[in-house]
Amino acid sequence: MANVDVDRTRGMLTVQLTGLDRLWALKSRVEVPLTQVRGATHDPGIAHEHKGAKVGGTHMPGVITAGRFRRHGDMIFWAVRKPANAVVVELTDGAPFRRLVVETDDPRATVALVEGAIPN
Amino acid sequence: MSAAAALFAASGYEGTSIDDLTVATGMHRGSLYNVFGSKRSLYLRALRAHLDHEILPSTAAIGSLPDAEQARSAAVAAFDNGPAAGFLLLAAVERAPKDPDVADLVAEAFTALEDALRSARAADPPHEAATVLGNRLRLRARPTTSQEE
Repeated sequence: MANVDVDRTRGMLTVQLTGLDRLWALKSRVEVPLTQVRGATHDPGIAHEHKGAKVGGTHMPGVITAGRFRRHGDMIFWAVRKPANAVVVELTDGAPFRRLVVETDDPRATVALVEGAIPN
Repeated sequence: MSAAAALFAASGYEGTSIDDLTVATGMHRGSLYNVFGSKRSLYLRALRAHLDHEILPSTAAIGSLPDAEQARSAAVAAFDNGPAAGFLLLAAVERAPKDPDVADLVAEAFTALEDALRSARAADPPHEAATVLGNRLRLRARPTTSQEE
């Protein structure tokens, strides 16, 4: 599980992993400038896609996908147990990841928060 | 883009998943995100395209008609029609109250309809535009015989 927040003063999107996911992902926090965020989408289906090659983290199919994965040359950060709550945050070129795929408590609220914090 | 618009028109924003969009557009999920960034951004682009390719050309044609009565019937027959018929009305109901960018596009389309009726010398363009929208809604509410699945 992840807490996704927007820090408007610093202009940052922060993703803070909770509980043991911090260990599974080998990373507890990801920060990205809002200028590098293109959008957020609630996307339960993405969990059924190939994850690509694990670069650092944990992949137990059907249980947890957490950490850094590389697919088709793109670095993707995953922190998902329950696919139903997966949110995809797409980033721009130059960001540390192509996209973040994270599970949140309330995917709709996360999407609204992120979409409301970035210019179109 | 037109495949996405038709899908949004048929299933709405919430009812259309990224899986649905990958099937309809033939694009891989990664490419879809690469190109559009998010489902919302794809939705806004599809609605913009529906305005540019359907709504605005049809209102331009309606505005060039010689009298108000003809303009009104043409609008009832053609407004928000085409491959993504009903997309605008659905966007107005489902997304405009929650999304200011959708609300802007919907307002632009409604204003274009009013302006067209004004050009065709309608007596009370806002009122007649409202009547056209009401009639379009009633037409949309009829069950169709060929339901797509």
